[in-house]
Order: sequence, then structure tokens, then C-alpha cells
Amino acid sequence: MPLSPIFPLDMLKPGEWADVADVSGDAGWVCRMAELGLREGCRIQMIQDGTPCLLRVADCKLCLRSDDTSQILVRPLHSAKVV
Amino acid sequence: MSLPTLTVALVGNPNTGKSTLFNALTCLRQHVGNYPGVTVEKKIGTCRDGEIKLQIIDLPGTYSLAPRSPDEMVSVDHLLGHLKDEPRPDVIVSIVDATNLERHLYLTTQLLDLGQPVVLAVNLIDRAKNLGIQIDFARLSERLGLPVVPIQANRGVGLDALKQAILSAGNSGVLPKPVPFPEPFQKELQALSAAIGPGVEPYLIERLLLDVGGHTERQLSEKLGPTLASRVGDARARLATAGCPVPAVEARTRFSWIRQAVSDCITRPATRPVTWSDKLDRVFTHRIWGTLIFLLLMFAVFEAIFIGAEPLMKLISAAKDWLAELVKEGLSPGPLRSLIADGIINGVGGVLVFLPQIIILFAVIAVLEDCGYMARAAFLMDKLMAKCGLNGKSFIPLLSSVACAIPGIMATRVIENRRDRLATILVAPLMSCSARLPLYTLLIGVFLSDPWWLPGVTLFGLYMIGLITAPLVALVLKRTLLRGETPIFVMEMPAFKVPQVRAVIRRMVGAGWAFVYRAGTMILASMILVWACLYFPVTMPDGRSYDVATEERRDEAKSLEGEEKESKQQEANALHGEWKRQSYLGRLGRWLEPTFTPLGWDWKIGMSALASFPAREVIVGTLGIVYDQGEKDEEEDGEKKVADTPLGKTIQEEWSKDEHRGKYRIPTALSLLVFFALCCQCASTLAVIRRETRSWAWPAFTFTYMTVLAYIGALVTFQIGKLIVG
Repeated sequence: MPLSPIFPLDMLKPGEWADVADVSGDAGWVCRMAELGLREGCRIQMIQDGTPCLLRVADCKLCLRSDDTSQILVRPLHSAKVV
Repeated sequence: MSLPTLTVALVGNPNTGKSTLFNALTCLRQHVGNYPGVTVEKKIGTCRDGEIKLQIIDLPGTYSLAPRSPDEMVSVDHLLGHLKDEPRPDVIVSIVDATNLERHLYLTTQLLDLGQPVVLAVNLIDRAKNLGIQIDFARLSERLGLPVVPIQANRGVGLDALKQAILSAGNSGVLPKPVPFPEPFQKELQALSAAIGPGVEPYLIERLLLDVGGHTERQLSEKLGPTLASRVGDARARLATAGCPVPAVEARTRFSWIRQAVSDCITRPATRPVTWSDKLDRVFTHRIWGTLIFLLLMFAVFEAIFIGAEPLMKLISAAKDWLAELVKEGLSPGPLRSLIADGIINGVGGVLVFLPQIIILFAVIAVLEDCGYMARAAFLMDKLMAKCGLNGKSFIPLLSSVACAIPGIMATRVIENRRDRLATILVAPLMSCSARLPLYTLLIGVFLSDPWWLPGVTLFGLYMIGLITAPLVALVLKRTLLRGETPIFVMEMPAFKVPQVRAVIRRMVGAGWAFVYRAGTMILASMILVWACLYFPVTMPDGRSYDVATEERRDEAKSLEGEEKESKQQEANALHGEWKRQSYLGRLGRWLEPTFTPLGWDWKIGMSALASFPAREVIVGTLGIVYDQGEKDEEEDGEKKVADTPLGKTIQEEWSKDEHRGKYRIPTALSLLVFFALCCQCASTLAVIRRETRSWAWPAFTFTYMTVLAYIGALVTFQIGKLIVG
């Protein structure tokens, strides 16, 4: 199966799962995101889209409002219930 | 003989149940204080196990031990034993959440580098079981090289085993093995360490290299001079080319080690079951339903405060009157009787009446916070707060400020960004706090009680003044003084849980005690001062005492009937007025009267407002003394009757007598209300701002801008009101 395209996190629809492809922006912020479990390679689910959005990362929920300078790129997964 | 003591530090992410574990281990044998110089709470408790005393330190919840600010540095300093008067912990307990083990172990791996024994306490095993997560604890212990104890802190499960593990870790002194970093990194670390020389712990050198712009870098640069900065810069550049870019290398190394270590210790179900917390969240974080529930909840909270507190408030009020009456009967007229009855009992008592409201409010806030609802409210409000340059985390402090700005300002500690935190602190006193309520109810009851809907609308309007002004001021501040990029808002949303009764009670008692303490110090002192400035000089031109002479005429009036009684009473009132006019406060007030005139105030109102600067609740007591209503009872009992109380009646009569004020009495009342809504008349708030910002400049700024705002607000209100009345 070919890899799905990569796009910004905010284009993910509610209920969709994705793998984080890249977290970019201010180094301190990227670090904080990693501490919270949001880093390259981890699997997330969009619970509620918009600003701020609600994400499931591992078994916890994160509330996030990002801007243009700091971006999270994701690769969506098409089969729904993957943990 | 004192028992041998083992010092234990609890470290964990926020919302792992760390405080619950702390409370379960120490019961009530704990002491809460502050670390010197920073705004971090220091919680230390003790418990006994056989012949050994455990001293337990509850360090603030954190996601990592990479200090970015002095506040975060305190935890590291404590763990390394750098704090004066605080021993270095013998054992570190890392508490982690069983449902999200990998992420929580990140902090644990940092603890391994500190060179002290570490015990891993895996909490919330019940929740993990409900989610179908199975953990092989024995294997986990083997993989991590740490003693691992499964616990359930809220039910006290596994605590004995945890204590045993702590004791044996303390006795054996076996140190854990740190996570191995890539070779280039270790080489740089050794080189740096050799260059710096002994005296700086390896952990701090590691942080120096890893945290770009972090606190360790700042601190060590100060100590070791500018050559260090270039040395660190070079090392980082070399690491980047070697494929270990700082700071990413840390997360990468630690997480890949963790993933490898736990991979065969945890089994998860193929599909994640939907928990009741998830189901609740579908409603509570819903844009429409969630917002609706939030508004209803807020409405219910305010209703509970007013209705629930009423019986208790009546009781306190009655006790206060009974006490004042007792003093009046027992003592002869003179300074002592006046001081005790008018100054102390009525002044301080009038403020203590609000104790039940404050306790109820804090109970509600504690429940909402403990069960996890507040994070949902912050999520819902983030969009709104973003418009004024703040974020959702600022919302809770602002909401708490509706009760009292002091806990509100203290609650800003959760805001990581300094500018956001400062902006929130500076606008928090604009929210209508409960201390403004006495004046609101008094004046609304007297002047704005007709038609039936007017009092409610006015009160709502007064709260709206704060709710609208605070974000606007925050917006202005963020565009000017506190300009800077808006940080990205990220917040963990904890799962819903049943609130702990003990935590709620602790908050209630703490808040209640703080309020009583304030009433016994700040308010008592200002009431005595106000009283003295209004009482003295008490000598009449003929050498007699105003106090005694007024009292004599009143006593005579009691024995008379009809017109004679009335004239005697008027004589007493005239004498009383003369007394107050020539008192120190009266003289100052008349001198300052030109300042108050544009606001529609006379010297009496102006003086009462001025005397309320230390604590705004004082206004009702001061009005009582100024308008001589010793028995200003029942003024807080129910809004409908306010106009019938002696103080309400007197104010109404006095203002109506005066031709100018009689005509413009409603604009005058409104201008006074607006002034109080916007002014920072609270010395305690200023003291807390000073403590939290560690500078005198910010409290001075808050005081100035709020006073100017209040004066302008009152001026505009009165002048517009005057135009409408005609």
C-alpha cells in the first residue's frame, strides 16, 4: 500500500486517526510537545477539530491551539479503529 | 530520641494522583509553605513506618525536569540538595499513570540521571484495567532496573508495599542506571564537564547542553563567564553535524529506550473501549451543548452562593448585633465604647458576614477543579480568550476572581507564559469580587429597587462591567506593555473523576481561614483607623465631648413624646453632623470635595470611598459611621428590605434633603457603583500581586490604572446621568 499524503493537523476530520509525521517550530515548543507525548511517529486521533482542537494522544487528551509558525504534519490512517 | 529519618521526594506529571498519594501517605501530618523567592508551593509531610520516620516532599507536578524558569528550577535544586535548610532526598518516588505509561516514563528516565535511588509507583491501575491494559510489573521492574510498585492512591491500595520498597531502596542505596545517550553526546558531556571542573553536578551539565535558552544555561553562564556560552554553542553545533541535534536528541533517545523497555511488558486491547469519561466529554466539550452547560453551571454557582449562604449570613449578622448591643449596654458613652461597638464589632462583623459566601464559592471551585471540569471550561473558553490575546488557562483565574482576586491571582501559576500570566494577574482585580457585593446590594436596594426587574439588571450590569473591561484591558496590555508572540496553547485534559472530599474540605477551610485572618488584621486595622479619624477631635468648642453630648440628647429624646421628641432628635443629629464635619476625616473630605464634585459625590461619600482603599468592604461600615447608624443591622439580609434599614433610610433622607443630590441621586448612586466596580481598593490584592510578580512596579501599575479607570468611569456615568435627568 502506498503511503498516504502528509498534511497539516488541522485538516484532520473528527474521529480520524493519523501518525504524526513532523513537529516543527520553536525548539522549546517542539520539546514541550514531545514531553506531552506528541512527537514524530506517534499515533493520534482528532476528537474535535477547530481552534483549539481536541486530540487523543496515547491514552490522554490534549487541547491544542497552534498557529502558522508551528506546525504539526500528519499522515492519516484509513482504517478507523487503530490503537 | 528522634527516629532515624528517610527523606523521600514525590515526582510526577500533573494529574497522576501525586497529591492524592501524598495525602494518603501523610494523612494530616503535613506542612504547606512556599519556597523562598519563587511562587512554588512547598508541601512536606511525615509518616512512620516501624522505627523509621519518612519525610515526604510533594514536588510540583511537571512534565519534565528541564527547567525553563526559576520556578521550575526549584524542583531540580531540591532534588539535588541545593536548597538551604532542605536535605537532599534519599529516595525519589516517580509516580506514573498506568494508562499512559510511555509518556510518563519520560520524566522517570530524567530522574535516573540524578544519582539517587528511584522507586517507580504505577498509579491508576484500576483505570488501566478498565481500559483493558495489562502490565507485567515484574518484567517492567527488570527492564527498567527499578523497584516497581502498582498502587491505587485514591483507595490506599499498595501503599504498604510502596513504603517497603522505599525503605529497602533507601537502605540498599542501589543507584539506577541512566538511559544511555549516543556516543557523540556522551563525549561532549565529558569534555564540558572536564572544562567546567568539579562542583557542578553531571545532571546540570547535561541540562546545560540540552536546554537551549534554559535556566541552567543562564545560571551557569552567570557563574562561569562568557567563554562557557561559546563552548556550549560549539558543542551543540558539533552534535548537530554528528546526527544528535539538541534538544531533539533527548526526546528521541529517552523515548526509544522507553519504547524498547516496555514493549513486552504491556498488552493493550485491539480497540480502545469507550469510557464514561469519554461519553461525558462528548457533551461537556461540545461547542453548543458544552457552552450551554457551562453557562447553566455558572448561573447555578452564583445562585448557590446567594441562596445557600443566606441563613448563615443572617446568623452571623444577628450575633454581631447582639454583641454590639451588649457592649453598648455595658459601657458608658466614650471613646472606648465607640471603638469597640462601632469600630470593631460593627466594622469587622459587617465584613465577616460574607464568610459563608466565600466558603461556598471555594467549595464549588474545588469540586469543579478536582473532578476535571475546569479543564473543559478552559477548552470551551479558549476561543474567546484568544481574541483578547490570552488563552484558556487564563479563564479559571479570572473566574475565581469573581469570588476574590487573591486566589484568582494565585491560580495564575498554571499559566506558563510570563506575559500571559502577568496580563491575567493585572486584570484579575477588575472582576467583580464578593467584597463589592455589600455596597452593590445597599445602593441598589436604596435607589434602584423599582420596578421589580431593575435590581437584577443593575447587578448583572455591574458584573458585566468587570467581565467586559478585564479582557479589553488585557488586550491593550498585550498590544503595548506585554507585547510578544502568542505562545501556542496546549493543555492536557485529565479524565473525569469523582472529587475527593478531603481535598475539597481543605480548600474550604484554607479559604475561610485566610478570609478570617484578613478580617482580623487588614480590615480590623483600617476600621480602627477610619473610626479614629471620624471620632477625633471629639472636644466641642465649650470643652465637652461631642460623643457624650449627642448621646445625652438622644437619651432625652427617648423619654419625650411627639414634636418635642422630634426636635430633640434633630438637635442630636445636627450636633452629630457638626462633630463629623470637624473630625479629621471630615476636614480632609471637605478639602478634597472639589475632586469628588464632578462625580456627584459630597465629602461624606468621597471620604467613605477614600477610607475603603485598604479594603473595599469597609465602605458599608464607613457609611454607617459617617451617617451615624450604629445599628446598621439587617442591611445585608435580603435585598428587598435594604431601603428600610436605618442606614438605607438615612442615606435616602440625607441625599433627598440636599437639593442637588436629591435631584441627581440615581446618577450619584450609579457613579459610586461604577467607581467601586473598577477601582482596586484592596491592599491584600496588591500585596499578592507584589508576591507573585516579585516587583513593586506591577502592584503600583495596577493600582494606578484601576484608580484612573474608576475615576473616569464614575465621571462619565454621573455626567451622562445628569444629562438624562436634565
